[in-house]
Amino acid sequence: MEIHKYEKWWMIFGTGTLIVFLIILGVSAFHSGTHPNNSKWTIDYEKVDEYAPFDNPGLHKVEGKDWDYEVVLVAQAFAYNPTEIEIPVGSKVRFIATTKDVIHGLEVAGTNINMMLEPGYVSEKITTLDKAGTYTIVCNEYCGTGHALMYSTLKVVDTNDNSN
Amino acid sequence: MSNHKKPSSEENLKGTLLATFGVGLVIIIFWVLAFDLYTGRF
Repeated sequence: MEIHKYEKWWMIFGTGTLIVFLIILGVSAFHSGTHPNNSKWTIDYEKVDEYAPFDNPGLHKVEGKDWDYEVVLVAQAFAYNPTEIEIPVGSKVRFIATTKDVIHGLEVAGTNINMMLEPGYVSEKITTLDKAGTYTIVCNEYCGTGHALMYSTLKVVDTNDNSN
Repeated sequence: MSNHKKPSSEENLKGTLLATFGVGLVIIIFWVLAFDLYTGRF
């Protein structure tokens, strides 16, 4: 089969750019810690409130770990617990979340924190919050009639900022 | 029935090739901009 040389050039260009894109995305994803749920941490979704750490949702300062804070979130139709979280800017935070009923999403809008919460499984994400601001945590997996009303607020505050 | 080449049509294809490279360049630019957005977020 004869392929015109210009078509060969275009196929090489197209395939080459695709490969380069995939390599860049793959390497940067591994470097930044992006990962699918490893599905190893399971939980009885009907008894989430009885098991640690979900028996005490919210922000927890930790010592002796690679991160500074842990944020434990529990999702249910149609709310997150807690409804508001305040964290100092520059903190390394481990987000731990699960759901008590159906599949929910947990996305901190405007950031790369984006997880699916599946009943029976715990999702985690470790990241450094290096930009101050108020971020909305939204559900991005349709979960029912109240899906659009399901949100929480993450405030990354600069503790050195004295302005009002 | 013979497969003789037509030089005039090969010249015409150069413009097509450059146009497709132009489209490719636009795609690459937008990809880089989107990737820059992604890497700029925590």
